[in-house]
Amino acid sequence: MKARVLVDASDIDRFAPHTHPLWWGILGAVAIEAAVVATLLTSYFYLAAQNPAWPPEGVAPPDLFWPTVVLVLLPLSSFTMWWAGKGSDRGDQRQLSIGVTASVTLAVLALVARSFQIAEFDASWNDHAYGSILWVITGFHYTHVVSAVSGTAVVAVLAWRGYFTPERQLGVVVDTVYWYFVAGVFLPIYLVLYIAPRLL
Amino acid sequence: MRSEGKAKRGFGSPQERVRLRLLRLLSSAPFAFLLSGCQGIQSALDPASRDARLVAELSWWMFTSAVFIYIVTIGLLAVGAGLFRGRKRLSFRSSTTLVILGGVCAPIIAIIAIGVSGVAIGDETEGAREAGTALTIEVVGKQWWWELRYLDEAGEVIAVTANELHLPVGERARLELLSDNVIHSFWAPNLQGKTDAIPGRRNVLFAEPAVEGVWRGQCAEFCGKQHTLMGFMVVAEPRDEFNAWLERQASDALAPPAPGLDVFLDLGCGGCHTIRGTPADGQKGPDLTHLASRRTIAAATLPNSRGNLGGWITDTHEVKPGALMPSFIPEPQDLHDLLDYLEALH
Amino acid sequence: MTAVGIETSGHDPALEPSSYGHEAAVGREAFERIERTWRSPAGFVGWFTQVNHSAIGLRFIVTAFVFFILSGLLGLAMRLQLAMPLNEMLSPEAYNQIMTVHGTAMMFLFAIPAMEGVAIYVAPLMVGARDMAFPRLNAFGYYVYLIGGSAFFLSLALGMAPDAGWFNYVPLANKTFSEGYGVDIWTTMITFIELSALTAAVELIVTIMKLRAPGMSLDRMPIFVWAVLVMSFMILFAMPSVMVASAFLMMDRLVDTQFFIVENGGSPLLWQHLFWFFGHPEVYIILVPALGIVTSIVVTFSGRPLFGYTALVLAITGIGMVSFGLWVHHMYTTGLPFMGRSFFMAASSMIAIPSGVQVYCWIATLWGGKVRFATPMLWVLAFFGVFIAGGLTGVMVASVPFDRQVHDSYFVVAHFHYVLMGGAVFPLMGAIYYWFPKATGRMLSERLGIGSCLTVFVGFNITFFPMHILGLQGMPRRVYTYVDGLGWGNMNLLATFGAFLLALGFALTLFNVVRSLRHGAVAPDNPWGGSTLEWATASPPLNCNFIQQPVVESRRPMWDWREAGSRTVVAGLSEDRRETMVTTLLDARPQSVMVLPGPTPWPFVSAVAASFGFIGLIFSPWFFPIGFFAVFATMVFWFWPRHPWRKK
Ligand code: HEA
Ligand code: HEA
Ligand code: HEC
Ligand code: CUA
Ligand SMILES: [Cu+2]
Repeated sequence: MKARVLVDASDIDRFAPHTHPLWWGILGAVAIEAAVVATLLTSYFYLAAQNPAWPPEGVAPPDLFWPTVVLVLLPLSSFTMWWAGKGSDRGDQRQLSIGVTASVTLAVLALVARSFQIAEFDASWNDHAYGSILWVITGFHYTHVVSAVSGTAVVAVLAWRGYFTPERQLGVVVDTVYWYFVAGVFLPIYLVLYIAPRLL
Repeated sequence: MRSEGKAKRGFGSPQERVRLRLLRLLSSAPFAFLLSGCQGIQSALDPASRDARLVAELSWWMFTSAVFIYIVTIGLLAVGAGLFRGRKRLSFRSSTTLVILGGVCAPIIAIIAIGVSGVAIGDETEGAREAGTALTIEVVGKQWWWELRYLDEAGEVIAVTANELHLPVGERARLELLSDNVIHSFWAPNLQGKTDAIPGRRNVLFAEPAVEGVWRGQCAEFCGKQHTLMGFMVVAEPRDEFNAWLERQASDALAPPAPGLDVFLDLGCGGCHTIRGTPADGQKGPDLTHLASRRTIAAATLPNSRGNLGGWITDTHEVKPGALMPSFIPEPQDLHDLLDYLEALH
Repeated sequence: MTAVGIETSGHDPALEPSSYGHEAAVGREAFERIERTWRSPAGFVGWFTQVNHSAIGLRFIVTAFVFFILSGLLGLAMRLQLAMPLNEMLSPEAYNQIMTVHGTAMMFLFAIPAMEGVAIYVAPLMVGARDMAFPRLNAFGYYVYLIGGSAFFLSLALGMAPDAGWFNYVPLANKTFSEGYGVDIWTTMITFIELSALTAAVELIVTIMKLRAPGMSLDRMPIFVWAVLVMSFMILFAMPSVMVASAFLMMDRLVDTQFFIVENGGSPLLWQHLFWFFGHPEVYIILVPALGIVTSIVVTFSGRPLFGYTALVLAITGIGMVSFGLWVHHMYTTGLPFMGRSFFMAASSMIAIPSGVQVYCWIATLWGGKVRFATPMLWVLAFFGVFIAGGLTGVMVASVPFDRQVHDSYFVVAHFHYVLMGGAVFPLMGAIYYWFPKATGRMLSERLGIGSCLTVFVGFNITFFPMHILGLQGMPRRVYTYVDGLGWGNMNLLATFGAFLLALGFALTLFNVVRSLRHGAVAPDNPWGGSTLEWATASPPLNCNFIQQPVVESRRPMWDWREAGSRTVVAGLSEDRRETMVTTLLDARPQSVMVLPGPTPWPFVSAVAASFGFIGLIFSPWFFPIGFFAVFATMVFWFWPRHPWRKK
């Protein structure tokens, strides 16, 4: 059968990081994780509604200081991530490397703050459902920060080695989307775990 | 000993099967012929209460409508794709009409019918209906039997029994479903739909037999190894018979102390079973104070007879694999004494 | 393009060319170069590095059907045990394990993966892509599924299978009441399947949204592709719920969290809500792609354009969305407030509208057509006969008072086998008969196919129709036996007899498949005269799917091409690199070209690392960090850029 050529792909862009399917893929991953967080937070409220006192009698709601520190550090790290991306778009490898490294550092600091905060929890995961859900939500987010940090550390290494160019910066773009999510999702968690018990 | 103990499970004996006096309301319903001869003592198709009858009628209505919809839909398919093959195609307009009628209008009518009947009948069957329900019974799901606690007006326990629920005819009893282990579900299909017994909750179910009779029910939520043999009996009797029964159940054991009681205590049965008026006060197993008054043993698994009792005690797991009671093989004489005693627990 | 519902032309497959001249299109040399670029490595080692969607899709399908046969045989074992009262063939322990594994495996290891497999195999072809967006992730998902499923069946062979039913209610599944590893194996297996389903969902979504052939705007997408898209989104939003539930349970059992322990503030109903918030959409995850299959077959065998394309798209999307608001209809007897249940009663019966719209659209399409009753179409007819009956009983159980009688009884068992067999297995069988020629290059025997379809249809109804009556007669489900004298014996015996007839019917198809692989007639490119793009490639498909990616100008490219006598294609894709077009989301205008990765062993290694972590979790929480970092390490290797690309 004869073929009529309607599209010639010879000159179409091969390296389009902002429309690359992987970008959509990471969005899918973010959607899944967001659904997980939503489920966890719903479970928190469901359990709260099943119990006469929440947190249970004799347990204090978690302290506000360290979580608030984290709430500052994570957006800050997103900002440096964004700044790094700007650099990368211009082909400024130095700005990229510095920005990404700064983000990793800030996130590691956030992890440290988070660890302090966990050490202060008044409830253990194994004596009441309140403690269980508190620990699990916290642990879930902690794990995600760890994986974002690990992934970004690899990006940082590649950046310092000069791998990324404006065409070949898909890794940076995708990693940044994920980073925004991990940083942003802390806000609802903060509101539910730390503010809600004080209001309800 | 074992041969005597070898028991047969089931409900063969005629006195176990009390014929329903209720006129079979359903026999007039369409398609009843499909099921003729299958009326049972554990069946939603043989309602013995207003609640169950309403639902049975609903079932027939829905079933008939479903058959109608089915025939119409499949008929249209057969006619359209088969008989009219290659003839005229439906115009765009008639196609649209077909889809709107069959795919939108019919379901909407069905939804309204389901919704209205569901709410109306649900309200009836789940409600207390007559104010001042006289009788409250706590039904506790155990692995794998039922504990029944009859309460007085103040909510105090009057009598504890197991696996055989007695109800006065024509009165609406309030059953409160409890569990301290896994989830069970109380289902006596001739009387009422099921409701779950869930740890941490106190669900309520109303039962109101319209006629005298004996029915069987069964746990309906999977609860482990012996979910299967977690049955119970329901006995509906006139109020005065019921009162006499309840009074007896509330009393201490009527059997005089006998050698069998010593065997019972020596074997350690008392560690799990209570016989009120004796030192036996165990809580793990069914209350045996009036064991002999019950029609069945082991949660409506065996008819209550001497042979079956012996079989149960000596070979528990042959009868009911996994039951949470160990077998005991006492000396023959001791077993006789024990059985004599248990049979005297009227 | 003509107006919807008006006949364009009758399509006689005899007029189809047997080959569309793939080699001639680009010349022998270019043809071979492209095929080499896209070739999957052969050999035992090569098998572990393959990433092409056709290879992975086929593996999903074959594996799923192996699990189907195994779980089906377990179904037969249950039927044997239940053939008569007080049968002692199976102990309660054995029965409960078999029942649980049958249900779990049918749902998680057969139905979902089989649908994903068909989607992975067919959808990229249908949208005219050369492969899926993330071929390596695809392979990863498959290995995770394979390992998880095999471990699950192994546990049955070892007698330590889970035995708390396929929805695994707590507290029964808590460690107090289920000692041993059974339930841990269940939660772990669920995690595997979640992972594999989620990877499949993400890449199906991206493939469908971004890799469609130029010109295939959303409203030209085949209904099957729409169905796959909806299925994938449903997986995306339903799976997280069971993921959370199974993680809670795993932790309750492993590290003493208290999510489901009433004494310490936990709630058994939390499990039920989380499980069914997933579980209900899950059954439509199984149904929706099957609806797509049915549509494909109906269109092809009526030889005319679908009536009500838009209505069908809306119906499928509607089912997908509404299904997230029905879960409480599995919990009518848990003592929730009646008001709330009434809401779910209305919502549940509402699904009848989109279902009805679809059924009648198909009828309108078939009406008066020159319908060819070949085997795929026969399976679709069987689907009509069985699924509609199951759907109607579904609407019945949506009624609260009725459901309180039949819930957890054999009536429900009958309902869901009618919808699952009717709504999933029959369409899948149809899909096998329909796409087998495409996938293998051989036709299946029609005579065996007709025999198989008839036997299955009759056997099915003999098996499952009596169960409606049994349920109303008071027989609860999940019982390993029943006492004498309740009048259930005959119906059960009948059902058992039917089950063997059913098995015979499936055996005929199995035989047909095995025989035809070698002896079947050679299939042309488009044996049925289908209208969609999977028929534009060779049978079996070329390594690259399309030697020239197609360009689409209507919903029925194959029929257009036949009429025009020429086809419309993309030129200018590299011959030495795996390239496929990326197009815009809505109207599929060319946007960029994606360079796809080739064969690699890393997805396999990564899947093994992940499995190691998951399975280890049954024994110790330390496997969480171990697995985490092991997977991370393998991922670094997987993604590490080794051949820096240069812009051409
Ligand atoms: C593919 C799987 C599948 C499908 C498609 C369905 C479809 C439906 N199901 Fe089913 N269901 C299951 C699989 C499925 N189900 C499973 C596995 C369980 C049990 C889980 C377990 O407990 O183990 C279950 C259980 C289940 C329950 C709980 C029962 C209980 O446990 O007590 C309910 C209650 O509402 C229900 C309802 C429905 C409804 C309303 C539909 C509707 O979608 C049906 C709609 C279709 C039609 C109505 C037919 C076509 C329409 C027409 C021909 C138009 C004319 C129609 C009318 C006028 C009404 N299902
Ligand atoms: C897609 C889903 C699916 C499918 C297809 C089936 C198919 C079958 N099921 Fe189903 N079943 C479920 C999903 C499914 N089931 C679920 C979810 C449950 C609930 C579990 C629970 O309560 O937890 C259940 C429960 C269930 C029960 C109730 C158990 C109980 O409550 O105690 C029964 C009992 O009869 C049963 C029987 C069967 C039978 C006979 C088939 C037959 O259709 C099977 C036929 C297939 C074969 C027989 C295999 C093919 C055979 C060959 C190709 C033969 C050739 C090969 C050789 C001989 C080597 N199933
Ligand atoms: C470890 C605890 C335990 C001990 C010891 C024990 N039982 Fe039981 N018994 C049970 C349990 C639990 C059941 C309920 C079993 C079931 O139906 O699943 C039961 C049921 C029974 C029943 C049936 C009651 C009914 O109404 O269904 C009888 C009779 C009985 N036991 C007698 C005895 C005798 C006699 C002994 C001593 C020889 C004994 N039991 C020792 C736990 C025990
Ligand atoms: Cu108790 Cu099932
Ligand atoms: Cu459902």
